[in-house]
Amino acid sequence: MFHRSSPRDPFRLLALGMWLSIGLSMGLQPLRTWHGHMFTLAEGATRVSGGTVVVGLDQEPPNLDPHASPSAVTFQIIASVTENLLYMDHNRQLQPWLAESWEVSADGTAFTFRLRQDVKFQDGEPLTAEVVKWNFDRIVDPNFKAGGALNALAGYSGTEVLDTYTVKVKFKNSYMPFLTYVASGVLSLVSPKAVQERGEHFGQRPVGTGAFTVAEYVSKDHVTLIRHPDYKRTPPWGEHQGPAYVEKVVWKFVPEPGTRVTTVETGETQLINLVPSQDLPRLEKNNNLRIAAVPWPGVPRILMLNVQKFPTDELAVRQAINYGIDKDALVQTLFKGTGEVAYAPLTMGMMDDPSLRAFYPYDAEKARQLLEQAGWKVTTGDGIRERDGKKLTLLINNIDYGGGPWPEAQMVQAQLQELGFAVTIKSQARAPWYEDNYKCLTNAPVMFLRAGDWDGLYSLFHSSVIGANFNFSCYSNPKVDALLEQGRQERDATARRQIYLTLQRLLLEEAVSVPLVDERSVWAMRNTVQGLKFNVFAYPVLSDLFLTK
Amino acid sequence: MQYLVKRLLAVIPVLLGVSVVVFSMLHLVPGDPVQMMLSEFQTSPEQIARLRAQLHLDEPLPKQFGRFLWNAVRGDFGYSMRTKRPVGAEILDNLPSTVTLALAGMVVAVVMGVTLGVMAAARQRSWFDSGSMLVALLGVSMPSFWFGLLLIFAFSLKLGWLPATGGGDVWHLMMPAMTLGMGASAIIARLSRSCMLEVLRQEYITTARAKGLRESWVILRHGLKNALIPVVTIVGLQLGQLLGGTVIIETVFARPGVGRLIVNGILEKDFPLVQGVVLVGATAYVLINLLVDVTYAFLDPRIRDT
Repeated sequence: MFHRSSPRDPFRLLALGMWLSIGLSMGLQPLRTWHGHMFTLAEGATRVSGGTVVVGLDQEPPNLDPHASPSAVTFQIIASVTENLLYMDHNRQLQPWLAESWEVSADGTAFTFRLRQDVKFQDGEPLTAEVVKWNFDRIVDPNFKAGGALNALAGYSGTEVLDTYTVKVKFKNSYMPFLTYVASGVLSLVSPKAVQERGEHFGQRPVGTGAFTVAEYVSKDHVTLIRHPDYKRTPPWGEHQGPAYVEKVVWKFVPEPGTRVTTVETGETQLINLVPSQDLPRLEKNNNLRIAAVPWPGVPRILMLNVQKFPTDELAVRQAINYGIDKDALVQTLFKGTGEVAYAPLTMGMMDDPSLRAFYPYDAEKARQLLEQAGWKVTTGDGIRERDGKKLTLLINNIDYGGGPWPEAQMVQAQLQELGFAVTIKSQARAPWYEDNYKCLTNAPVMFLRAGDWDGLYSLFHSSVIGANFNFSCYSNPKVDALLEQGRQERDATARRQIYLTLQRLLLEEAVSVPLVDERSVWAMRNTVQGLKFNVFAYPVLSDLFLTK
Repeated sequence: MQYLVKRLLAVIPVLLGVSVVVFSMLHLVPGDPVQMMLSEFQTSPEQIARLRAQLHLDEPLPKQFGRFLWNAVRGDFGYSMRTKRPVGAEILDNLPSTVTLALAGMVVAVVMGVTLGVMAAARQRSWFDSGSMLVALLGVSMPSFWFGLLLIFAFSLKLGWLPATGGGDVWHLMMPAMTLGMGASAIIARLSRSCMLEVLRQEYITTARAKGLRESWVILRHGLKNALIPVVTIVGLQLGQLLGGTVIIETVFARPGVGRLIVNGILEKDFPLVQGVVLVGATAYVLINLLVDVTYAFLDPRIRDT
């Protein structure tokens, strides 16, 4: 099955190194026709070699260098250009990819990878242990401005080349999330020779070991990928060995949603991303199209509650907000078909547990009771609650990409006003939005985070990232810090899950955020497009893609 | 010649003023520009210090301004924060597409505007006159992104004649050029009409008619030539407007260009990029105006003497 993303996406940034893994179901289903959330091969469809698929993408990436980009859109494009040492399947199990096998030291600080010996970059350079070392060293080099990749190497202390094809990556402390990160786009490997030769142009034409090469980059217009004729392997999700089926994939940047939708309806593109929820019903009725909705892994669309600022510094107020927001209404109106109700700081696809779902059912009456008990009463005709002469105010911090406040922020505003809050939305450009969050100046920033590992919570709730990315709840709790640190160190999968489950329960008890919507990355495609798959991070993989007549 | 020199000299203080404004931009925005630029990245204090030094923000303001001016004169606007490529290269990559679009829009505007205006004047107070002026009114009033989406709906989705996105061959250029030219054509149509009406009231037109010339000849040969002088000024000024209008059109039609470059730059707080594009844009605008003035003087000798 498939899932979604946000209507105005752009939080790619927040992805900051975190789209690591996870992936939820979906993706990687071999050729089928679309049944609900499953693709099946269209009747009579045979795999055809050749042809060009044009994809309408909502935005242009800052660059295509996996180590330098802070943006998720980069990985939409290059998921079949660069490859990783490991691969994470849809059951979150690690599989060999460019590494044949791997080992973790007993203390969890060293990871040894034995590489395949038949791997060559698209420029002919062989993949060796030296190359792996060079890649990781590049990311932490202070002269290199790394994107999300830097976070993925937290505590990196160096790489040791054991022999031509064996490499040991070392960390200062036990760091288990590394296994997820080493299987995700930010730590995919690039050719050192190409980085040197192409210089500043490398960001537009990266060279990896994948089934597609970047042939052309036209600023503000498109990127063209061409299948690599010498690709000899079967990718871990793949169903065939050797070069990809389609000859060319053109990623065309079409930022205006109406225009993008039109292009797939007319056939000018064969595939588009970020289908707006208001267009979904129409597209679903179109017999020439199919829809894929892939769950984004990570942190849902979420309202962070600032525990340092009045009145969200009060637990009862934060809990009242949690009870008082009707998430079902959000999903039914604004996110219909592109999201589901969120219950916890990690999406249900990342970790589902009945105890998490049970925390805050929508209950406006209970919300009012909590406020009354805490002494917040409506005394004047304006319907706004007061206590000791102070009004119950709430300042929502919202990024404006040019279209005004996000509709979900407005809906939350309306719902909380019903409960007696005076809610103001501060809708502003991204940079001042961050500034306010670093300084803990607003009550409730709206955000989301694409993260592949549970460790994504570290950047949201560890006390060391107050005033940085992204502890915008300005929340400091030694118990939470300890759990986040244990989570990084625990080697046993069951125990690790238990740590993050306990952590999420604690965060929900403390009501430091309001999880709103688990989003999906929604794609629409022509029926001629077959064999498209999505990896565990919700990015499209292209090697099994083919076009029917 | 003297006039030309005078006009050229007048351009210098204007450009200097623009540079001051563009330069101040970085220092007037609230907050620390370096931290803003790096907000998406995980950064250490050293990296922030390094970027500050790289942008020479640690130097005294006059020195910074001097450096900024000298670099700008040499066409060096620094590196884009987002793409890490030279700003000059980014602009050069995108400029041809924007200029093509602006010129194509101009062609649409002039052809439609002058034709409608002259025909309306020739048939003053007829249904054609009222109709074309109503169209002109609509053209001025309708937001271009709305008109663009209407065109996409009609010509791409319903009729399937034209591609919805605007990067590529001449077919891709049609709808963006029509959208862009629409507003300007309305202004040109109204102006052509009023100038034409004024000219048609002149005695030499009466004389021409009295000589028994054909009406079409009177209008095109004797009327149009004289009516066009003010239109030329407006066309020149409109070219500047059209360059500005490409910002929206490029986004609606997914067309590469400087407009989209600056919109992305602003959203990403990519200061060097925004500074470079604004400076280049302002210079282009000033030069176009200069060109219009000079052309005008060439067409109408009276201007040169005043």
